[in-house]
Amino acid sequence: MSTPGPERVPSTVKVDKTSGQGKPPAAKSGAKPGGGSGARPGNRPGGKGPQGKGGGKGRKPVTPVKVSGGRNWGPILVAGVVVLLAAGIIGYGVFASMKGAETWEDKAAGIEGIVNYREQKNPQIDARDHKDGALTYVTNPPVGGAHNAQWQNCMGDVYTEPIANEHAVHSLEHGAVWVTYKQGLGADQVDKLKSKVQGKDFLMLSPVANLDKNISLQAWGYQLKVDNADDKRIDEFIKDLRVNATLEPNAGCSGGNTATGPVTGAGNGTNMDQPGN
Amino acid sequence: MTVSTDPGPADQDTAAADGPTPTGARRFGAGWIALALVLGLLLGGAAGFLGARTIGTPGEESAEAGFLRDMSTHHAQAVEMSMIAHANSTNPQIVTLAGDIALTQHGQIATMQAWLRDWKLSLTGTGEPMAWMPGSEGSIRNGLMPGMATPEQLAALRKATGKDLDIQFLTLMRQHHVGGIHMAQEILDMSDNKDVRWIADSMVRGQQGEINLIDSMLKQIQGG
Repeated sequence: MSTPGPERVPSTVKVDKTSGQGKPPAAKSGAKPGGGSGARPGNRPGGKGPQGKGGGKGRKPVTPVKVSGGRNWGPILVAGVVVLLAAGIIGYGVFASMKGAETWEDKAAGIEGIVNYREQKNPQIDARDHKDGALTYVTNPPVGGAHNAQWQNCMGDVYTEPIANEHAVHSLEHGAVWVTYKQGLGADQVDKLKSKVQGKDFLMLSPVANLDKNISLQAWGYQLKVDNADDKRIDEFIKDLRVNATLEPNAGCSGGNTATGPVTGAGNGTNMDQPGN
Repeated sequence: MTVSTDPGPADQDTAAADGPTPTGARRFGAGWIALALVLGLLLGGAAGFLGARTIGTPGEESAEAGFLRDMSTHHAQAVEMSMIAHANSTNPQIVTLAGDIALTQHGQIATMQAWLRDWKLSLTGTGEPMAWMPGSEGSIRNGLMPGMATPEQLAALRKATGKDLDIQFLTLMRQHHVGGIHMAQEILDMSDNKDVRWIADSMVRGQQGEINLIDSMLKQIQGG
């Protein structure tokens, strides 16, 4: 569809070029203004009149050259500008689509203040073993590391009490973004976070007792801490890392632990089919 | 494309008509440049638009992308409810139906997300759910799409046992399917994308069939 357009336009421009070029010589040799205007009486006599007269009389040879030169270059300029403009717009389109194809890691790197723990190659954060009982983590809240065999349910669940890190880290491994806030944060702030999370899979919300900032977002190996629930980077983080940051593509968020509170007894890890606990 | 070429000759004629005056050359140049601007914009715009339409795939804000993202979330809850019933029900018919729904819809989530990946689009959106669907305002309650169970209903389902569990599961899944069919029919009305239409059509047919099955099972369980 697009090829006929570019072809047609230059061709129409050429027609005018040749007619423009052809006229001055005709006027000079024949010294007849009317000869050139034969095809289009309306347009040509006007344009050629001055040229034809000047060329035929030989009084002012310089003037006709200038005028005809201007007409010759005009169409070429036009064609050039058309091509440049078209190429520019198409080029921008290509650039925009290439930019749209940047990876989620690129997008994440563009979020101001985000910490990429994957880059640090810290074995304690990179560990993915399943371990029973209470575990310690190098960041608060944790962004990765050994975890409980049972994940925390992350189907847009809104937990009003702290949840076990050991379960939450497993949810991060499945691709969830875990939104946490300092326990005791104002209800209006918590409600704003709740509206971002509730009903959306691969998201969960919970308070953290000793958080150093008001709000902290976690994906596996990534963390962003902000002060206000209105901060636009919250939506950016969720959009760029949710599901994308998974280490187990197509793993789910349902079927996990739905209880709050610390991880329970050592045997809990193997107990994966108890949705009610 | 004819739109971009038609103004050309017309503009050239007027430019040529301006020629007779001594300042004709200068006016000529200005006219040509204006023409060039118009033509260039039309050409570039047309190429970009047509290119995106013919070789392109649905865009970031398209209804198709919105449908695939929202239906993934919608499906995920059906998987959640089905896995609860599959684990806790003692009725073999329920276990079979729940397993069927969980496997089908989990597989469809993977398919839908694979398309989003292929099209280089975000797998998730941060906008209001169902924003792709015209007239969807007000259909979202507490962030839940049509037919989705509330957190309270899910908590009750997790605790339920026996006949109570079976009835709750069938009732919630029936309502879930009705909402899902509504969404799938909506995208069938809006989209001419072959892939999206194929999966949406399969959802409408498959889930309508399951609703009929659920109705007969509910009658049987409640009657017995």
